[in-house]
Amino acid sequence: NIDPASLLPKLPKPEELKPFPTVSQTLFKGHEGRVRSLAIDPSGNWLASGGDDGTVRVWELHTGRQIWKAKIGDEEAVNVVRWRPVKDEVILSAAAGEEIFLIVPPPIANPEEEIRSRELLDTGFGYAKNETQNLTANGARKDPAGKWIRPGARLEDEGVLIKITVRSTVKTISWHKRGDFFSTVSPTGQRSAVAIHTLSKHLTQIPFRKLLGAPQTAQFHPSRPLFFVATQRTIRSYDLQKQELVKIIQPGARWISSFDIHSGGDNLIVGSYDRRLLWHDLDLSTRPYKTMRFHQKAIRAVKYHKGGFPLFADASDDGTLQIFHGKVVSDMMENATIVPVKVLKGHKVRSALGVMDIDWHPREPWVASAGADGTCRLWM
Amino acid sequence: MDVTMNDVNSGQGRVQVRFVTSSPDIELPEGKRQLLVPTDAGRYKLSQLLNSDYMLDTQAPIPFDFLTNGTFLRTTLDEYLVSQGLSSETAVELQYVRSLIPPLFEASFEHDDWVSAVDVLSSTSPATTWGNSTISLGQERILSGSYDGLLRVWNKSGQAIATGPPASAGGHTAAIKSAKFISPTQIASAGMDRTVRVWKYKESPDHMSAELKPILELYGHEKLIYSIAVHGPSNRILSAGGDGKIGIWSMDAASMPAAPATLLPSALSTKRRKLGTSTSTPQRGPLSLINAHAFPVSSIIFNPLDPTVAYSASEDHTVKTFDLTTSTLVDTRTTMHALKSLTALPGISSQLLAAGTMARHITLLDPRVQAKNTQVMTLRGHKNIVTSIKPDPESNYGLVSASADGTCRVWDLRSTRQGTKEEGGVVGEPVYAIERQKEKGSQVFDVCWDNDVGIVSAGEDKMVQINRGKGVTRPGEILSN
Ligand SMILES: [Mg+2]
Repeated sequence: NIDPASLLPKLPKPEELKPFPTVSQTLFKGHEGRVRSLAIDPSGNWLASGGDDGTVRVWELHTGRQIWKAKIGDEEAVNVVRWRPVKDEVILSAAAGEEIFLIVPPPIANPEEEIRSRELLDTGFGYAKNETQNLTANGARKDPAGKWIRPGARLEDEGVLIKITVRSTVKTISWHKRGDFFSTVSPTGQRSAVAIHTLSKHLTQIPFRKLLGAPQTAQFHPSRPLFFVATQRTIRSYDLQKQELVKIIQPGARWISSFDIHSGGDNLIVGSYDRRLLWHDLDLSTRPYKTMRFHQKAIRAVKYHKGGFPLFADASDDGTLQIFHGKVVSDMMENATIVPVKVLKGHKVRSALGVMDIDWHPREPWVASAGADGTCRLWM
Repeated sequence: MDVTMNDVNSGQGRVQVRFVTSSPDIELPEGKRQLLVPTDAGRYKLSQLLNSDYMLDTQAPIPFDFLTNGTFLRTTLDEYLVSQGLSSETAVELQYVRSLIPPLFEASFEHDDWVSAVDVLSSTSPATTWGNSTISLGQERILSGSYDGLLRVWNKSGQAIATGPPASAGGHTAAIKSAKFISPTQIASAGMDRTVRVWKYKESPDHMSAELKPILELYGHEKLIYSIAVHGPSNRILSAGGDGKIGIWSMDAASMPAAPATLLPSALSTKRRKLGTSTSTPQRGPLSLINAHAFPVSSIIFNPLDPTVAYSASEDHTVKTFDLTTSTLVDTRTTMHALKSLTALPGISSQLLAAGTMARHITLLDPRVQAKNTQVMTLRGHKNIVTSIKPDPESNYGLVSASADGTCRVWDLRSTRQGTKEEGGVVGEPVYAIERQKEKGSQVFDVCWDNDVGIVSAGEDKMVQINRGKGVTRPGEILSN
């Protein structure tokens, strides 16, 4: 007479897995309308946000004080904000409509950093001038995949220094860790939906001639020259140097909203509009190692902690974030231990939309969330 | 007093009590220190008893608290004896101390923006006593630093008699994070514009208005400055930077190196950024800039007993001790959490440091290098980041803390309990909680506890708020929360 439950591996209790965020500590109020995206800067002191009001804002992380803002979207929402992940310069990227902006927010850069950051943004202008214009087969000038220009005096005065115009609305930005490349995804962009931008050359390239399905989001592998692109149902990884498909990951979700790669590089989490949260061990299979359905509504964002804590989180239209302990073991054959540890409630659901984006602090077990209720929150 | 010996003798159970105190002015004569006391007496009844004409015969009642073995008596004597497994045959030694008086709301002074820093100039404040100056009662001044970049000096009636110059006239170009009186005529401030600024403060003959004149702009930090400490007699200012560095500065322009050119606003070609640089104010660099911490330094203080020693607290979880004469690191204490605030307390037997954490509590550390038990006690009760801590000017055991939870809390190191398994160690709990008068729950960023003025706090509600014990108390009551 063996109790079947006794054969299951014993999961640790949440209280044994501390620390993880438990309470809302800082409220960021100011956006009019939904906050669609947020990101904590590499130093861990500033929060950037963007939303339906067309503004990008920078806030002091521990007081919730807004210290800078610029309106970059006239009619368009700011769909995404992401910091360039290098501490020597202070560069924020943001996209509204078909335009991507590169920003040096003045209040947080000292004169030295500001000069260095501006120089880095400007070097590509020289390169772009020397570049011969691409011609199509019949000799006509090809419309560039991305046009890099100065955004005009009003924005330049605010610290918004580069504008890149692509062919359709940009929904996601993802930086390569060295800070020279970033990718953008425009799900309605068809052939040019995925673009890779080179900062030092002011160059926008379309890496794939043909894509199966509409791309949703993309990310660089943290250590290898691999690039992951999610369509609605699959995630493909490509070798950028060899220009070839490496793997097709099949989470089994109907519509992928987001994914994130573990800093170790071998594990991946996926969130979907059909409420699924999936963990993939890339060593094991192209199918998920674990499928979880905890939320009442769509999952919009998933993210691993990248600063040494075995934590990940997801954000949902049910207005909650869920925090998980997810410990990756070095043994190839052993699976990660995954334990849900906390549901964070506080954001209000507005027009069926809840939490739109999340980001972890670079070194502490703190997570920030962007809400359709117009607020951001820091949970500690 | 309305307590007679009849009352005292009418109780059923009685216990032999010996009353002792460490305050000579309220000491009982030798013959009155022993008394048979009803076992149903608690703090309030004991306090009445001590005040009675038979005992201390006080003119006006003094509210007392009682300690047994270093911990406040919060129950009746009977319950205490039972909890300790003692019989009523046992003689109990009760140490009596003046109760902390509840800090009642007195006034608040309205600003145009969030208030991040406060300091007080009074007859007993360091800036007054250092220079043997005097401030007569009623002439106290309150200094505030705001997110609008302006300093303000207030009189006790709530009039801003000076407002610091705007950026265009040599003022800060961004939010102020810390401000201190150096003397009755000198002020230092620092903040988000990465500068420390020194000001000459001069009042008009009628004391109804005053001038704040910039005399020094100090450059060297690469990120914002969270905190400064000043020491008048040695002419020193210390700064805690978001760049992880600690700056050591002088107030004497002649003794300081040139300001690092690359950090001056004039390094930028942009016209807009040049605004706010006063050409007439001397710009200087640090005497020393110590690479102190891996992450932002949140708080810096002088050792009040030895101004050649400084303590810093950082988001890197550590408290460090520095020898300022050689600019060297002496000691590092690593805690479990990112730290936001720091103060030095006289302590019970030796000096202690109180560090406020991002994790909602206060850690008490013994800073002596040879100390074995480095984490002495944890103070629990705040519900958000502990932003500022200051000692009680009247007691070695008291302190006040400010928090982003919207309260200041008053603590007495003798008010302790054994922590739960999860908390561990000895845990202190707040004696009083002070709410914001204007906007309940809004963040408090700084607090100052002055003997003459009271507890002065500043916050997100754009107010400086003054709370003060008025000498009347309802016993054992926690004001709110
Ligand atoms: Mg594995």
